[in-house]
Amino acid sequence: MVQGMLIGSTYGLLALGMGLIFGVMGIVSFAQGDLVSLGMFLCLALYAGFGLDPYVSVFVTVPLLMISGGAIYWFLIRPIAGQHLLMVVQLTLGLSFVIQNGLLMTFGGQAQRVPSVVDSDLLIVRDVVIQMPHVIAAAVSFGLALGLYAMLGWTDAGRAIRAVSQNSHAAYLMGIKVARVRLVTFAIGCGLVAIAASLLAPGAVMVPAQGFRYTVIILLTMVLGGMTNFVSIMCGGIVIAMSEAVGAVYFADTFGLLLPYLVFVLVMIIRPQGLTWRTT
Amino acid sequence: MLEVRTLTAGYGLAEVLGDVSLSVRAGEVVALLGANNAGKTTFINSLSRLVSIFSGSVVFDGQDITAAKPDDVVGLGIVQVPEGRLVFPKMSVRENLLLGGSHPRVRRDRLAQMENAFGLFPILKERAQQLAGTLSGGEQQMLAIARGLMAKPRLLMLDEPSLGLSPRFVQYVFDAIDRLRSMGLTILLVEQNLTMALRYADRCYVMERGRVVVEGDPNAVRDDPRTRTAYLGL
Repeated sequence: MVQGMLIGSTYGLLALGMGLIFGVMGIVSFAQGDLVSLGMFLCLALYAGFGLDPYVSVFVTVPLLMISGGAIYWFLIRPIAGQHLLMVVQLTLGLSFVIQNGLLMTFGGQAQRVPSVVDSDLLIVRDVVIQMPHVIAAAVSFGLALGLYAMLGWTDAGRAIRAVSQNSHAAYLMGIKVARVRLVTFAIGCGLVAIAASLLAPGAVMVPAQGFRYTVIILLTMVLGGMTNFVSIMCGGIVIAMSEAVGAVYFADTFGLLLPYLVFVLVMIIRPQGLTWRTT
Repeated sequence: MLEVRTLTAGYGLAEVLGDVSLSVRAGEVVALLGANNAGKTTFINSLSRLVSIFSGSVVFDGQDITAAKPDDVVGLGIVQVPEGRLVFPKMSVRENLLLGGSHPRVRRDRLAQMENAFGLFPILKERAQQLAGTLSGGEQQMLAIARGLMAKPRLLMLDEPSLGLSPRFVQYVFDAIDRLRSMGLTILLVEQNLTMALRYADRCYVMERGRVVVEGDPNAVRDDPRTRTAYLGL
């Protein structure tokens, strides 16, 4: 349960990045989970090659993913944005296969893990045992979510991002460089992905095909949170991760993967607008 | 101040404007009139560079700006207040105004500029913290104009500022236009409300199907039979 809550904050963070991109550009990237996977394997490569701990290699993966994400947006997505929505879906799905198979070619199909200095540390509070990486993940995720919230709320850059998402036509008329705002937003989304990847990596068992699972989790979280609402997206992440953990612990591993969907369907039936308590 | 020569523009391959020539002198209020779909909004959007220009030229203060980008145009002081107001609904009045002053040219003195805007529209000061989406139509129109003023326009382009407003607010908006004129601002006004526009404008252009069919001072335009044709589509 507790572990679910902690991991959930990282899911929430990922979904925030995706929600931001959706809000500003109206696109949903089906490659987002594979970017997470890519980030995790980059951590592995940096560990294998240079002995870098995931918490150190994040300083390499963040700029790397931000730049490649920016390039993906500028050269692949931007030219077809504005055309049919399915075009972007196709493109990002294709990208997802490219990343997945690229990882498969480079790292092979067997399960691997990245060790970290803290991954066997445990935090024991009475009869609750928590793994240290999860605590770090939750703390960093919540911190970043707050930072993102503050950035959007009180800085010029944040206001420009919100302006583009609320009405891009009017944003042009304000003299805002709309294309640049979109590029930066996409890059921020990818930077968050890189951070989340480093948070999820320590101790996790990873295979190249995991990307799709992350994509689905991010999408579930985002929809559960009502697409763009900040607080409820974070809550959505926690709900998803907790149901995942509960299912795995009290029933069976496979049921753990199933339970989030059941919860999701239930929530959608009861509250189709997501967990939001107000429709903004 | 603004000199547009034989401008052809449109969306994709579709040509909406054909050979539009128009000029605005400093300090003037010029009205661009015509029925729905005459191409008025397309015209000012092509000046704001949101619609592609196919041929012709736009010269502002002796500088050819035909190839400028949307933010360059705002930087030069050509500022549009769009049709339907398009305020940012989920942001406060204050944030909307700050965004109006987001171009680097004006960013530094935008707080002083905001006080000017509040001086012109005191109601906005009372509502500064309110979300723009919760304002009434008339208040949103004031906000849209104030937001445009934040960019320190030299040429303010107002697109249908009276659209959908009650008669009282229509009068209020035109009074505001009058005050802006007396402050020395040059205004290009796009209007469907013929009576009001003719009363407040120095010169008028009437468009029909993407072309300018009548131009001249308000009285001449009012009496020109082609104006009626353009409006009634006869």
